[in-house]
Amino acid sequence: MMNEAGRVLSLLLEGKFICQVTDEEAWRYLKRRDNVQTLEPHLALLNRSLATTADGEVFFCAYTTLGDAERKVLQQQFQDIASNLIPLVEWLMLIQQASESDIPLTIGGALRLSELQSVIEDTPAYAEQLEKISRYRLFNSTSVNLDGQLKQVFKRLTDLGYLHKPNSEKQIYLATGKIEHLYEIIRFIDETESLSLAEQADAAISQGNLL
Amino acid sequence: MSQALIQASGRLFNALSRHHELIMQVYLNGQVDETQSSTKVLEQLIQLGILWRPDAHSPLRLKSAVRNLLESSLQDERNRTIDANIGAALASLKTLVGHYKEAMHYNRYSEAQSHMSTLTEHVYQLTESLGNSVRIMFSRINNEFGYVVSVDAKIRENELAQSQVSDLLQQLECFQFDQLSELAGSQRELRHLLVVALQQSFSRAAQELSVAQARLLDLLGRFREFKGRTRLLKGFLLHCEHHPDFTVNEYPALSQVPTLFNQAAAMLNPAAADVNYVHHEADYHQMATQLTHLGNRPKAETSETVNNELEVTEQSTVALIKGEIQHAVECYFCEVIDSGQACSALDYYQHQNFDFDAEVWIYQVIGGYQALDETDKLFFALDTQGQAHTTFTGNYYIHDVTLGLR
Repeated sequence: MMNEAGRVLSLLLEGKFICQVTDEEAWRYLKRRDNVQTLEPHLALLNRSLATTADGEVFFCAYTTLGDAERKVLQQQFQDIASNLIPLVEWLMLIQQASESDIPLTIGGALRLSELQSVIEDTPAYAEQLEKISRYRLFNSTSVNLDGQLKQVFKRLTDLGYLHKPNSEKQIYLATGKIEHLYEIIRFIDETESLSLAEQADAAISQGNLL
Repeated sequence: MSQALIQASGRLFNALSRHHELIMQVYLNGQVDETQSSTKVLEQLIQLGILWRPDAHSPLRLKSAVRNLLESSLQDERNRTIDANIGAALASLKTLVGHYKEAMHYNRYSEAQSHMSTLTEHVYQLTESLGNSVRIMFSRINNEFGYVVSVDAKIRENELAQSQVSDLLQQLECFQFDQLSELAGSQRELRHLLVVALQQSFSRAAQELSVAQARLLDLLGRFREFKGRTRLLKGFLLHCEHHPDFTVNEYPALSQVPTLFNQAAAMLNPAAADVNYVHHEADYHQMATQLTHLGNRPKAETSETVNNELEVTEQSTVALIKGEIQHAVECYFCEVIDSGQACSALDYYQHQNFDFDAEVWIYQVIGGYQALDETDKLFFALDTQGQAHTTFTGNYYIHDVTLGLR
């Protein structure tokens, strides 16, 4: 049997994102400074180190030094992230609009599939948007009915680690720390490429108000 | 929802009318004589929010809302106070204390008693209204301003709540306990009201308000965060719409890769079984017995062979192709029939210029004749020309055959 340190270490080496939603015990373990110190030497041995994102709420494993092989991996990952950004952001917007509270999805946010489905079914614009989203290569749905599209999208997101399904029998999903990571990436791109995305959105909203 | 409310209000009004004597008694006396009414009735009235108990040791009192209702409906201006702010309430308390002390000084006990009950009423009203304001604040915070939908409206509600909290905190500063305790002097009842009761409710309210303020600030931060995120997402989509050729810079190619994009690949794979490890022998054994596909293996192979389909096609007829020479023999027979005259095989051979051996030809002609049916054979006569061997008897050399019709 592995102890907690071994379990957390193997989770990290499997490339998982550890947050309060996906694995609260591991997350609590990593929150303690002395526990991290016991793990660090093992990770360092494998050219890895513990990295955090979203204000230290999400843990994952990063490379310490970057050789050619590591860069290749990262570039491949980055290609995936960059090509998945638009589908993911469109999905987040759809979820936000379809949920009654109009609050963006954050870590720990619960999504009830049946509620979402009834809202989307009742609103043709959302249904169209869902169809568009489900056709992206990321989700790759071939289903013609809304139910299948929604299920496929949620299944893919769960596989990719953006959502967590605490009870396999209930269609309730929780947003994981990877969602926060996604926001961080967009924020980072916004800042480094000085796109001033927020200002663009504000301008569009004020124009909408004028109309 | 409205149906439930209507039912609840029905219960309330029924209770008010059924127990109106008791309620009016409480209204006039300021408190309930619990020995004269059944505890069941009192419980019901407490549950309906008509009576309340300010603290564990004090008797039941009428709720200020009910009292206000009665006062305004009965146009009884006797006890009405303007609950505008705590400062005013405190000032009225001081005045009442003055009245009470004066009455006590002149030994007008019944008058003093009436002042005392008014004072008690005011003190508890003040504590009740304080408690109520804090409770309202908390109920708003607890459902995160759920009664308004948009995040903007929530932010506005939050700002309103914050200003209310700071107002309340400012008003709480009006409590000056040194003055109140001086006012109460050595009177036990006065001290209990002005110092103990007020201080308790003051400290509770102040504590809860500070918690509320922290929560409000926290919530405001969260709402701002929500707004920021929404704008970020919307902005990103807009940007991608406006610049369809937008591609993200390749950050992993930088010399310093940001941590966000530095995610190590998964590297753990399942371990393999070590059959030489004795401790695991029992487990391996168990696993081996549970292997189901092991028994299926031969089946899998046969199924593979089945897959090689037998091509069932029309079988090519085994044609007994008659050789050229046989054909020539038939032609020779037909020639004899057509001409009706005997013809030597070699003559026919020379006539047709066959390119096979003459001896083979003669053999074939003889064979062709022998192969005929008995009935057919009767039509033909085969005559051989040849000579016997010069030395050995019994050997006959055939030079030629002649086929004719009988």
